[in-house]
Amino acid sequence: MAHTNFWDGSNHYLCDRELAQSFHIARTLGMPLLIEGEPGTGKTELPLQYAADQNLELFVYPTGSKSNVEQFVARFDHVKYLRDSQIEILNAQRTEKGLGTTLSTGGRDPEKLGDYVVKGPAANAYSTPNAVLLIDEIDKAPREFPNDLLYALSHRRFVMPESGEVIEISEKEMPAIVITSNREQELPTAFKGRCIYHYINFPEADIMRKIVSKHFPKVSNKIVDTALDVFYHLRRIGLERAPTTRELLNWLKYVKQFSTKEAIEKIERLEGMGTLIKTQTDLEKIQRTILNDPDDFRNRSTSN
Amino acid sequence: MIQMISGIGVLLIKEWRLNRSQLANQQFTALNYKQMFETLPKHFRSFDLPVDVRALLLLQKAMDRRLVKTLGDIYVLLRGIIVKDPKMMGPYTRAYYDYFLNIDIQNGETLSDAILRSETFKQWKSDNLDRFGDDIEIDDLINAFLDEVHLTTYDINEVINGREIWDKDRGDLEDEDGENSADEIGQRNLDKMADYSDLSLEELLKRMEEVMKEQKGKHSGGSHWIGTGGISPYGHGGAAKDGIRVGGTGGGKMARKVMNDRRFFPVDRDAILNDNNVDAALASLKGIVEESAHNELDIPVTINQGLKRGGLFFPEMKNITDQKLQVILIVDNGGYSMSPYVRTVQTLFRKMKTRFAHDLETYYFHNTVYDAVYADAYRSKPIPVERILSKDPNYRVFFVGDASMAAYELNRTSMNTYRAMRDHFKKIAWLNPEPKKYWRHTFTINVIKEIIDMFPLSPRGIEEAVREMNR
Repeated sequence: MAHTNFWDGSNHYLCDRELAQSFHIARTLGMPLLIEGEPGTGKTELPLQYAADQNLELFVYPTGSKSNVEQFVARFDHVKYLRDSQIEILNAQRTEKGLGTTLSTGGRDPEKLGDYVVKGPAANAYSTPNAVLLIDEIDKAPREFPNDLLYALSHRRFVMPESGEVIEISEKEMPAIVITSNREQELPTAFKGRCIYHYINFPEADIMRKIVSKHFPKVSNKIVDTALDVFYHLRRIGLERAPTTRELLNWLKYVKQFSTKEAIEKIERLEGMGTLIKTQTDLEKIQRTILNDPDDFRNRSTSN
Repeated sequence: MIQMISGIGVLLIKEWRLNRSQLANQQFTALNYKQMFETLPKHFRSFDLPVDVRALLLLQKAMDRRLVKTLGDIYVLLRGIIVKDPKMMGPYTRAYYDYFLNIDIQNGETLSDAILRSETFKQWKSDNLDRFGDDIEIDDLINAFLDEVHLTTYDINEVINGREIWDKDRGDLEDEDGENSADEIGQRNLDKMADYSDLSLEELLKRMEEVMKEQKGKHSGGSHWIGTGGISPYGHGGAAKDGIRVGGTGGGKMARKVMNDRRFFPVDRDAILNDNNVDAALASLKGIVEESAHNELDIPVTINQGLKRGGLFFPEMKNITDQKLQVILIVDNGGYSMSPYVRTVQTLFRKMKTRFAHDLETYYFHNTVYDAVYADAYRSKPIPVERILSKDPNYRVFFVGDASMAAYELNRTSMNTYRAMRDHFKKIAWLNPEPKKYWRHTFTINVIKEIIDMFPLSPRGIEEAVREMNR
């Protein structure tokens, strides 16, 4: 059940209260926490910051289109095993012929199958008490992966392939498991059923202001206010890919090097828009609707 | 017992209504509490939420692990267990309010209105009148109510160990100070919140039952009785009132945000399941899964066999079968003309989604497609048609719509879109919920039918469409 103390963020990280509650519930019940939400809402940050703040060991499994449970738990390196077995034979022949030089197996012993087991993040996390295990962007995985994973996680023990070594952990010391998804694919119902689910809503302006000040405490309020007005306006006009927190922060990073007055002008002219807008269609749309009529845009964005 | 409106006490409101006569005779038994939770899955399922007995087991486990102390805790906990999609937030909150508070939120009604017309709120208001006075704004009153409902353990930063109070505060004590507490609440300096988390659910329920039997008059103070001003966990108004809440967003605000947010009531959640017809249709959709097989070197077997042969390696192959399915579904979900069919479409669409979880893309349109479709049911995120057209031509495309509109709506842009789609995706079909015999009377159906093959949205129609695609 991992550490069950309530944790709601650190000095560098503002954890949404509801998310902190869900995380606490998941740890207490010993279930994985599944976090969904738009990109840039800080899904991945939670386990990273938690591990750093609480001084716990973190294991990350970034999911991709080729992910499988073997990579996640442990696999047996057949090729290395073959190589070493051949070397053994070769070395025996060499000794027979009286040749002094032998080839090295790099400390591995073909008699010990455990030497050829490559442990993945899950096996490692389950060997470490109170670890944090992050399975990132599970929606990128092939469709069988979540269900296979479910099976792997529903037991607190793994059996290593070939070597038969058993990795087991008590419920008290189980890793805190966090799974994130961008909702690019729907996850199987059974899988979601085994997780505590949390959907991160896109932060509203007041929360966003706090997030910004955690990252750039020195930027003046005026700049932040103007940037947020523009930012939320851009999110409202129905772009293909609405800008997210990450993009806003990058944009502010760019404009904060100027004086307040300059920076505000730059924001209003949408300078450095490349950090915010990521597709050609959106760029054209903004040029058509906003930049041609900046006054109108300014009025609208401030009235909101 | 009328005044136990907040805290866990609220749990009883529903039972209270159902068993009013029994309650009058104070014959409330522990069985009622059990029954109350037993009916939870069924109740939540009637809101189209996938709840079964596992949810109850988890709830029990959470109680054992001291996660539940207030009604607000139950809200947060069940949400994590039951809600598996942001679309379920709305139905969940409705089910919760109905079940635990007997507040029934009608479709399209705001949370405030539902609360205002509920008996629960009226009761709570009359019990708490002296706390707030007459001049309080109704909105503030609703917020105060919501704050109490959604007060969670997390909101209480200083918690005393309830076990101590519990031991002192025995259920069999006589109710001696039943009428006198109204004057005290003003002065009572409440700085701590009782924490009964050491108790099991059964203990707590049993305890509540005893207290209810004992209770004679109206209470709003003291640590013993169910009341709105005490530190007893059955009522926590006092805690909220005296400013125990530290940090966090107000429960009222959160609940409001959830309830009034249209995102949480999308069209495709309101249909009722159990449509055999749709199951048949789904069966005929199976024909769209393609299997491809190829061979691959099986390294572990090759090596193992080779080692057994003393180092003579023959490649061992294994068969890999890939199931492949690529479907784009483009649904007309707007307009009055579609509304009679929306339910059928949604049921099929939801089932398709469960079955082909990873390979289905859904877009929406209103009446006809011009140069964009929408990624969400509210049609707020446009996706240009060019983007659809840049996808793998092996996708199977299903349009679902009645194709009925005013003739001028089906303009050149729209027709060109349909032609481009047909030319790009070889496997394309239009499924029309309108009965086939009426098709010839509608001009726009005839026009679209000429461009994209049209089939009725029936099991047979879908089967035909799939067979046609597989040619």
